[in-house]
Amino acid sequence: MSPAAVHRFRAMGCDVAVAGGNPEEVAAVLERWESAFSLFRPESELSRVNRSRARVLAVSPLFSRALEVALDMAAETDGLVDPTLCGRWREVVLSGSLLSRPQGLPLDLNGVVKSLAVDHASATLDGPGFVSVGGDLAVRGPVDVALPGSDAIRVVAGGLATSGTASRGQHLVDPATGRPSESCWEQVTASGATCLYADVAAKTGFLLGERGPEWLDARGIPGRFVGVGGDVVENDAWRGAARTAAACT
Amino acid sequence: MANNSRIEKARQRARAAKVGLGALTALVFGVAFVGAKTHAPGHAKGKATPLGAPASFERAVKKSVLQGGQIAPPAQPPPVSSATS
Repeated sequence: MSPAAVHRFRAMGCDVAVAGGNPEEVAAVLERWESAFSLFRPESELSRVNRSRARVLAVSPLFSRALEVALDMAAETDGLVDPTLCGRWREVVLSGSLLSRPQGLPLDLNGVVKSLAVDHASATLDGPGFVSVGGDLAVRGPVDVALPGSDAIRVVAGGLATSGTASRGQHLVDPATGRPSESCWEQVTASGATCLYADVAAKTGFLLGERGPEWLDARGIPGRFVGVGGDVVENDAWRGAARTAAACT
Repeated sequence: MANNSRIEKARQRARAAKVGLGALTALVFGVAFVGAKTHAPGHAKGKATPLGAPASFERAVKKSVLQGGQIAPPAQPPPVSSATS
């Protein structure tokens, strides 16, 4: 893919890169997600839900879908990626468009919203290309991607995401302690069947610390871990894939 | 006298029937009680046993919803980067 076809702009507080699609259409999709889920916008649906004192609320289909995914990911990661950030995700119940949660329990869907938006935006691409928001990436067709530490990888299908503390400090909260995570990794990059899966895998790998590579390998997810000292660890799935030319390219 | 004898026999039959019904009730209760204790899956004294599901079923249930993507060695200068977000 020609680098000249890449359009760059800002959205969701991040640098966005789009290739192979209409950047305005992608921007509109990202704006829709941000207007619904930004905690920095008082009028967003998430802000209104968090302000509400009601135990049961009716939410929009988009909100319902995102929360459902967030709860699924919390279950999949044993609560490491938790929409309540405090280990109380099991107390949040969604039934259709009805949300029930303990009074005053705030939600934070940042763990899934950006990657869901990337997946949604990539569905608007009309040919081979990619959508990248702040380094979270979904591709249609093979795309070469630069990695932390002057390395690169070809993403053949799915998504790629990096989580860690390098650019925004310790913003990943460990739900077990409710405090910013003190992982032995500085950045974790994971490859998933979707950007959502890649992002959740990268966050979980980061939060699990030394157990991260093994956890990702157990699920067949390629992961690349950059330690706080700059050392790079690749799990077996990453090593195997990165050393073998893809048969379909 | 004959009437008394018939009434007495009827009373004996009624007593026997009552005893029989009582014994049958006690027996049914006892069997149900023991059966419930030993077989009810939710009873505290009942042992939890594996479902005995086929291994393929267990593998499918335990399979993670998270799935890895496809990556390969790079072939061109990267037009985009993945970094901490």
